[in-house]
Amino acid sequence: MERLPWLRRLFPFVLILALLAASQVMDNYLQYIVNLVLIYVIIGIGLNFLLGFAGQFAFAHAALMGIGAYTAALLTTRVGLSFWLALPLSGVVAAVIGAGAALPAMRMRRVYLALVTLAFAQLIIWVLINWNAVTLGTDGVDLRAPYLFGWRMRGDRNTFYIVLPVTVFLYWLARRVLESHVGRAFIAIRENEIVARSNGISVAWTKTLVFALSAFYAGIGGGLYALALGFIVPDSFGLGQLTLHFSIVVLGGMLSLYGAVIGAVVLTTLPEFLRDVQALQEIIYGLVLMVVILVMPQGIVGPLKRFGILPREVLARNWRRLERRG
Amino acid sequence: MTGRPVLLEARDVTIRFGGLVAVDSVSMAIVPGEVRGLIGPNGAGKTTFFNAISGLVPLSSGLIRLGGEDITALPAHRRAAAGLRRTFQSVQLLPQQTVLENVLIGLHTSFTAPGWRDRRGREAAAQAQVEHVLAFLGIAARILTPVNRLTFAEQRLTEIARAIVSRPRVLLLDEPAAGLSPTEVEGLGELLHRLRDEWDVTILLVEHVLSLVLNRSDRVTVLENGRLIAEGCPEEVANNRAVQVAYMGVE
Repeated sequence: MERLPWLRRLFPFVLILALLAASQVMDNYLQYIVNLVLIYVIIGIGLNFLLGFAGQFAFAHAALMGIGAYTAALLTTRVGLSFWLALPLSGVVAAVIGAGAALPAMRMRRVYLALVTLAFAQLIIWVLINWNAVTLGTDGVDLRAPYLFGWRMRGDRNTFYIVLPVTVFLYWLARRVLESHVGRAFIAIRENEIVARSNGISVAWTKTLVFALSAFYAGIGGGLYALALGFIVPDSFGLGQLTLHFSIVVLGGMLSLYGAVIGAVVLTTLPEFLRDVQALQEIIYGLVLMVVILVMPQGIVGPLKRFGILPREVLARNWRRLERRG
Repeated sequence: MTGRPVLLEARDVTIRFGGLVAVDSVSMAIVPGEVRGLIGPNGAGKTTFFNAISGLVPLSSGLIRLGGEDITALPAHRRAAAGLRRTFQSVQLLPQQTVLENVLIGLHTSFTAPGWRDRRGREAAAQAQVEHVLAFLGIAARILTPVNRLTFAEQRLTEIARAIVSRPRVLLLDEPAAGLSPTEVEGLGELLHRLRDEWDVTILLVEHVLSLVLNRSDRVTVLENGRLIAEGCPEEVANNRAVQVAYMGVE
């Protein structure tokens, strides 16, 4: 793909059209899986901002996805708000709470930050379970599907028509952010905070921003997840969910948006292939993850980029025009 | 040198770590267009003083002025925005990222500065500035090379490029000759004068390679045990009795 620039430019459009065409002949179950893949692309991009690009070992992503899911579900069913308003709000609410998780990140790093954010995540789950009056506890809540031009957007194919454009937009937005000074500030604080400060980057502001942005993606992903499932319980957003998020980023490849996409595809479809050996699922998950970390530290995108199958990703807008000069 | 306004001034700078006085009431005034060498035996407090100027170590007492303005209370990133940039003793770059990305990080404040609205124009202008500084330093062909595939000397130059791309007023160089071959050190010496004359940047240079400091500095300041023991043009300092004692143990 590196040698065929026209193919690279065309590829996203081809992919979107192919998905739309395929959805016309898919059965509901397959469509549901495709929806989940797209949702996990959003989730994976969100965690990649934080873990891959900014190097922050925070473990609240699944809980923040839960915040988004519950915000969307509760606002549509209990407040009676339209899903079209509830979805962006689920991102905003998660972003505000996620920015709060940036506070401990100002003082601690690595394993300490991981522990504090994990405790924070457990607290959120605890609130979802025990705040019965609002969240209905372990009974879970459902979500009222939106209307579009008088059509009730129910069912997996209609959900797909909502999830696809949101995913495409958030992917595009992520690319724009990463190819700007903001994305470069993220990688600067990952590598060395002292160097970042010496280059005029406010570490506190950058951390707040990346935690909020990451949580926004988790929140939107959660809102769409609630839409795709139609019904959610607090347990969906615990450690199992978090493991899946980390697996997507690590397996796909940190520091790469392609990585989030590939990780989401592999890890959302993998359990479907392992359906017959459900007891072995977790073990196979763990083995795959261990092998990838040992053999491909840059994830699946590592070798794909080396062999020119995936293009390079440089955090600078229109950087390719510089190639012609070298 | 007299009569010119002072660009970077440290006045009675003292830094204590617990009971240890690392820098003891050091004053220094650097004028625009100067290359100032800062030398001293190991443990003299050079690096601590240097970190205090760039804002990484807080002062116990004293003050620091840049262009007449008191910057003592400014955090490091605001000092960088005010035109005070530095390099590090051990090269500090993002190894997997390209030279372009690394040097663009040095232009962060040109994106956050208010006023200039056109975002697309900003990025293009920033990339043009990177091309310009890399050409100035002679590594233009490396713009899209990942830093971990550069030679060590090229990595040094990349770090200098990041420090000067924003056209700062003062450049702090922390042992830029460390790890370079004698030929490369010679090239670095010439670069110091080109930076001063062609890039219009004032330089404060901490260095262990004495020949580089004595050949290329306009003035030299000597620290020992946290105190300033000598200051003057290179010849004066080299012939200073206290300096000879501190360096060679000559009695």
